Amino acid sequence: MANVSIRGLSKRFGGKVPTTAVDSLDIEIEPGEFLVLLGPSGCGKTTTLRCVAGLESADEGSIAFGERTVFDAGRGTNVPPNKRNIGMVFQSYALWPHMTVRQNIGYPLRARRMKRATASEWIEEAAELVDCSGLLDRYPGQLSGGQQQRVALSRGLVARPDLVLFDEPLSNLDARLRDQVRTEIHELHQRLRFTAVYVTHDQSEALALGDRLAIMRAGKVEQLGRPEEIFEEPGTEYVAGFTGMENRLSLERKDGGWSHYGEPVKGELGFDDHPFDSFAARARPEDLQLVRPGTPLPPDALAFTAIVADSEFGGRWMDVLLTVAGTRLHSRMPAGERGSWVRSLNAGEQVTAYVRPGDTTFFDQDGARIPTKHAARNPASAVGV
Amino acid sequence: MSEISAPAVEVATARRKPIRLSYLAPRLGLIVFIGLLGYLILLPLIRLQALAFSHGARAYSEAFSEPGIWQVILRTVELALGSLAIALVLGTALAWAASTLSPRLKFLKILPILPIVVPAIASVLGWSFLFSPHPGYLNALLRHLPWWHHLYEGPVDIYTLPWIVIVTGLALTSFIYLFVSAGFENINGELLEAAQVSGSSPAGVFFRVTLPLLRPALIYGSGVALLLALGQFTAPLILGTNNNITVLTTQMYYATQQTPAQYDVAAALGSPLLIFGVTILVLNKILLGDLGRFVTHGGKSFRTSAKSSKLGAIALVVYGIAATLLPIIGLVLVALSPFWSGQLHPSQFTLNAFHQLFHDGQIITAIKTSLIASVIAVAITIPLGYLGATILRRRDEFPLLRPVLDIIVAMPLSIPAVIFGVGFLYAYTRGPIVLYGTNWVLVLVYITLMIPFSARMQLSGMVALGDSYQEASRVSGGGVFRTHLTIMAPLMRATFAGAAALMFILLANEFAASLLVRSPTQNVMGTVLYNYYGNGLYPVVAATALVMVAVTGAGVAIAMIAGGSDIFKKL
Repeated sequence: MANVSIRGLSKRFGGKVPTTAVDSLDIEIEPGEFLVLLGPSGCGKTTTLRCVAGLESADEGSIAFGERTVFDAGRGTNVPPNKRNIGMVFQSYALWPHMTVRQNIGYPLRARRMKRATASEWIEEAAELVDCSGLLDRYPGQLSGGQQQRVALSRGLVARPDLVLFDEPLSNLDARLRDQVRTEIHELHQRLRFTAVYVTHDQSEALALGDRLAIMRAGKVEQLGRPEEIFEEPGTEYVAGFTGMENRLSLERKDGGWSHYGEPVKGELGFDDHPFDSFAARARPEDLQLVRPGTPLPPDALAFTAIVADSEFGGRWMDVLLTVAGTRLHSRMPAGERGSWVRSLNAGEQVTAYVRPGDTTFFDQDGARIPTKHAARNPASAVGV
Repeated sequence: MSEISAPAVEVATARRKPIRLSYLAPRLGLIVFIGLLGYLILLPLIRLQALAFSHGARAYSEAFSEPGIWQVILRTVELALGSLAIALVLGTALAWAASTLSPRLKFLKILPILPIVVPAIASVLGWSFLFSPHPGYLNALLRHLPWWHHLYEGPVDIYTLPWIVIVTGLALTSFIYLFVSAGFENINGELLEAAQVSGSSPAGVFFRVTLPLLRPALIYGSGVALLLALGQFTAPLILGTNNNITVLTTQMYYATQQTPAQYDVAAALGSPLLIFGVTILVLNKILLGDLGRFVTHGGKSFRTSAKSSKLGAIALVVYGIAATLLPIIGLVLVALSPFWSGQLHPSQFTLNAFHQLFHDGQIITAIKTSLIASVIAVAITIPLGYLGATILRRRDEFPLLRPVLDIIVAMPLSIPAVIFGVGFLYAYTRGPIVLYGTNWVLVLVYITLMIPFSARMQLSGMVALGDSYQEASRVSGGGVFRTHLTIMAPLMRATFAGAAALMFILLANEFAASLLVRSPTQNVMGTVLYNYYGNGLYPVVAATALVMVAVTGAGVAIAMIAGGSDIFKKL
């Protein structure tokens, strides 16, 4: 088990529209750590992973596993993937259809020239790990998607590699299976403590699995930190938007008060707002509260008038879509009793919406977070780049 | 660390990175590979041109000052454009017809492909047996019609340019059909359903959505068919002789048959075709780039909005009868008759021609030569094609060398086989390597002609497999060789078998290049047939043609078993 250092990694793609997929990226991964690269498609996360695997050669920078440099553009070092001692789990499983499950799992051991008897033991063990002992003599074509991905997982782990790479391994599974296999991956990591890099665009996957998350944007790391930090103290507005703070109020100073595209917003911001004339406030749907117009509000509420555009029943909650000064906001309210006020909201109705500064994160015009006194937790220590 | 580094060379200009072995080795290997293919494919052509340009390009002035040469060129173009027009209309119509077939009749889809696998020389002879002005069977039959009753000959004269165009057009139809069918299959069915639910009539869907989506397939298919049409050799040779209708390829052949052989004139005559072929090839690579970007895969497979109709099935059957069955019937009738006349006397039917054929023994030797040369050529072409396809698949590597390889590999498809025949004949009748008279010259020309098919089919096999199987092997610790050996080879087995079978069929049918490079004592099946034809032994000619069809038929059967019934789509 070794730490992984990625330093100054850059990868450009030529073609008709040249793009920089990875842009002087620096990441340190601790031994045994589960690092998740999270971002939308095209942010460079998969390219980064493929560079670490050696399936892609970066243009600049270096990658080292512990003391061992596996890639260094400056010195021309580029260890081929088969010499990097890694395991990898692919989105498409990539189980070889002409081999049995046993042969598939055993392949990394054969490639490492392990003795047959030992290999056989390790294969059984690895199959045991993912509950596939009964499937060893079947062919991949005879397995369900979930079983295939378990076998692929077992193949990635069997040789006890220094580093296990996951390339969106759950994307091809249906929702229920996805949760199941995710849990299994988490358990396996808790048990075996392998070093892992995991690529996904799904924030719930990232939050559940990662020891740390790296939110990527345009080939760079936007923020690197523990899941709680990322979730509760997003360092930039981009991260906030990507981790569920979908409601955005664009606040501007007007006549001594604040307004959102001309719609007055009442209330105290609760921090020293003097240096700012305009900034953005982000809040999760659960934190955007709705009340009847005229209802007394908590003293620290930031309130404004909104029009209901649509409302959907979600079981325990109601999803209410609002229009405020031409922008869309989304509130998720507890559904309450049958016939409650929230349940009976109709399109076109006027409501008062509010957020509380403690549930809101503020960003300046460059998208950087503005520290507030409401943040009772530690200031974001890992807010990076 | 496995990294092999060249000793760190102290370079005076310290900014330059030392060139490493890991960088150099694959490129050197690739250069050797390209050099090998270049020697095989390009050198004969280059030597031929050098000869034609020697003595102040004397051969060029001789070839193009001959009276009637411009008529030959005009006729070549007429033949090409005429047959292309026929092929485009018929091919597209048949592909459309095939897409309307009900599942029960899907097997009819194979009918329009048959003319590719029936030896060209056999079907051309079949046509001449049916439509020769006087003794042609169908002509004799047509003369029973009251309004043709007075005729002594005709009404059809297969030995005229329009009919040569029609015969060629019927053969090229298969290629257009293949391309357009593949084009149809690459269209996502939901695109058409979307147009239909948006309010378009079936005809509207066809003209507004289907046809525009087919455009790349049509353009590409027309390009290939045009090149094939310009290089047509067999039909003009067999059918054009009577009325002295010649095209560039047949003129080239005649030039090599003079004593002494006029290779330089033949080379000069081939130049327009050579230049046109290479131009089309390069333009195609520049303009279309990778055809993959036109693919609209995904979702449901293509289904026409039209209900499955009997009409489509009828169209396919009619074409199948006209283009494949009729000429074979012509061959059977002549083969069974004691001699060829317009009259049929079933009571006199005899197998004499076959007895004579096998007694003569020429055909046995020829079949052996055909089979041995084809098998060796296929055995060599498969690995060459695999290597080529593997390199062509790596889009991001070798930005300079890869396009060179791409063009060299595609060249034999865009340059007429006759030109390669002349080139190989000239190159291997003199030093440094003299192979004339041995089967090796056949093998080499066969390898050359098949390289595009081998590389293309294996490339599409690799594209279909995707990269992840290989990548999974590499990250699991498998080296390059282990990955190719234990992962790729087993997964590509069906592709290998299919490619081998297809190449085998094409080679067993090969006539144009074989006719040129063979020595007088050396024969393959097609050339034996041509010898008999020259001697006027028509029943034996017909019997030979049928033997050729039978050998090919066996090849097709093996191909279908090995590669599945859709094997011909991979072209």
